[in-house]
Amino acid sequence: MLLTFTEQQLASLLPAYLRLDSSLHIKAMGPSVVEHMPDIQIGMRCTDVFDFVHTDIEEFFDNTQGVKPIRLVSRCGRTHLFGAAVFDKTGCILAVRHVLSEESMNNGTLYMNDFGYADPVVLSTMLISLQRAMLEESQATAIELAHERERSASLLERTGRVAGYMGHDFNNLLSIIRLNADRLLRKFGHDEKISNLAQIIRETAARGSNITQSLMKLSQQQTDTLLPIVIDDLIRGNDTFLNSVVGSGITFDIDLQAANAESVISYNGLLNCIINLLINAREAMPHGGLISLSTSITRGLATSTSDSGDTEPSAYIAICVADSGSGMNEALLSRAFEPLFSSKPKGTGLGLASVRDFAKEMGGDVWLESQVGEGTTVYLHLPLANPSTETQMAPEFVKSADAPAIGTRHILLVEDEPYALEALAEMLEAEGYAVTPCASGEQAMHALEQQAYHLLLTDIVMPGQPGTEIARLAKLSQPSIKTILMSGYVPDSASLEPGWMFIRKPMDSDELLRLVASAV
Amino acid sequence: MYGMIHRAVRQMVFDELGEDAWLALEHKLGIGPTELLTGMVYDDALTIAIISEASARLNISVDACLFEFGRYWIKYAERGSLASIMNFTGQDLASFIENLDRLHLAVGAAMPGARLPSFTTISKAPGQLMVEYRSDRTGLEQFVLGLFDGLITRFGATGDVMIAEHKADSIIFELQYQDGS
Repeated sequence: MLLTFTEQQLASLLPAYLRLDSSLHIKAMGPSVVEHMPDIQIGMRCTDVFDFVHTDIEEFFDNTQGVKPIRLVSRCGRTHLFGAAVFDKTGCILAVRHVLSEESMNNGTLYMNDFGYADPVVLSTMLISLQRAMLEESQATAIELAHERERSASLLERTGRVAGYMGHDFNNLLSIIRLNADRLLRKFGHDEKISNLAQIIRETAARGSNITQSLMKLSQQQTDTLLPIVIDDLIRGNDTFLNSVVGSGITFDIDLQAANAESVISYNGLLNCIINLLINAREAMPHGGLISLSTSITRGLATSTSDSGDTEPSAYIAICVADSGSGMNEALLSRAFEPLFSSKPKGTGLGLASVRDFAKEMGGDVWLESQVGEGTTVYLHLPLANPSTETQMAPEFVKSADAPAIGTRHILLVEDEPYALEALAEMLEAEGYAVTPCASGEQAMHALEQQAYHLLLTDIVMPGQPGTEIARLAKLSQPSIKTILMSGYVPDSASLEPGWMFIRKPMDSDELLRLVASAV
Repeated sequence: MYGMIHRAVRQMVFDELGEDAWLALEHKLGIGPTELLTGMVYDDALTIAIISEASARLNISVDACLFEFGRYWIKYAERGSLASIMNFTGQDLASFIENLDRLHLAVGAAMPGARLPSFTTISKAPGQLMVEYRSDRTGLEQFVLGLFDGLITRFGATGDVMIAEHKADSIIFELQYQDGS
């Protein structure tokens, strides 16, 4: 098949073509050559105006058969052309086109008309450029979305803080109502009418408390009640549930040797930790095996390393969860507590990280020992509620046996709400405690200089010194003093120290009295 | 239409009325950044709703707003990330319009789902172009008029654009212009 094109048709298909005669003189050229290389004229010898890249000209034009690839650069303007030389009896056609790049598109040196209608390089280069443009716009959108998210988070944080303070104020009021309703019951509970009215007030305060709980959820408050808990009792009380967590096909062995030893912790926090550890152990043994959960009182360093600075050996409650599963190699072991890291395909990487956060918050530590093919043991250490009781004592003596008579137990009570202060003082005195009521941190500091106290019971959010600062100063001046903090809201700035007990307002009088009794 | 168009409308409202006006528009329509994703193809009803709200805020008719937006789109494209493609498509008004279909071929490949129009130059004389426009969309004539008007300005010319003929499946636009300088 022989196709014949006119110069115009050829120019449409190949706008940068050149037609040469047998002596290499230019006989015709495309519009793009005319446009971009105005110095080149018909009749000029091609080799005088173009350099042929990597080509021996004499040899190239000696053998004038078929089609040969070719690349040339104009001597004037350095325009690059590439394509093929097609030979015929009159000479040859250089079926070439421009080298198109994003740079030549950007600087406007080449236009679409410099390329033939069907030239695929136009589509592909434009596609790349378009995708780059879309990527730039997408990046701008991503940044906008990130800013939007930041704004939303900031708004949520501000709303949460306002909700927290509103919750705090409502809780304070509800606390006063509840404590004084309890006073009514204590004093006039024998009168059925007054008793009924007091119950109505208590129940209404409890309903109000549910509303403040919603506000507290908005404020992201996570602080649970912190109180001395007998670890063995907690495990024993939940053993049926823990068995169900482990599931069938795995032998579950519980060995509790910490007896009555207490640690000041969040009940739900520790239970969640144990559940997380059991789930990890179970998932390490898809074909069954043995999980043992044990407790003991151990004397040693609080942490697995000495980098915490706590180098004094002391007594700790040790909780161990051991499995006979596949174990972990060094690489996995070193990343096990890393947030969002998980060796399991569907793992969240939050379980062990949350256990470590809990242990650290409670003043303890957690670490792992593992052998590939032999299993993994998790050691969770928690401080004793009363560190003066050491391991040389039998566990049953961990709780102090020679506590002072109740009337000689002195409580320093700090609360800025006068009605709450009055109600609390009266309630504690009715139980036989010697109470020094203070309406501010300043009064509390003065009281601490006057006499020794067994317990500091203080509100957290108060004008002037917050309760957490009073607690730190009290511990400095009277190291044996126990601390119970009470609040409807714990601001971020008020970090609680390990060993401090915490009860959320509005408080149940009986729960507070139990906590006070266990503390002193 | 695709998100890049929405972003351009937003920029036009920003330029003319400020950020607060756009935020009020977003609030009224219940949209946000997720309706401005460049490569996403959105329902035309959303695009028209945005234009309609913008026209109310600019205190002009929807038709006038479409025309202004057509003009604005050319400026938006030539100063943004599409600048190199705009430069490459043509060095003068006639060649630019002749190459629009080739440009849209690449746009279609980059944005599957985009419903792109077709432009054919049916006659060309000094200072005059007759262009046939085909699209499966309706109601965008004012936008196209604005686009051509914006292109005349882009190439330093002055002139007028008008609809010469409504055909069964196309519209003929007539561009009369005088080159600048």
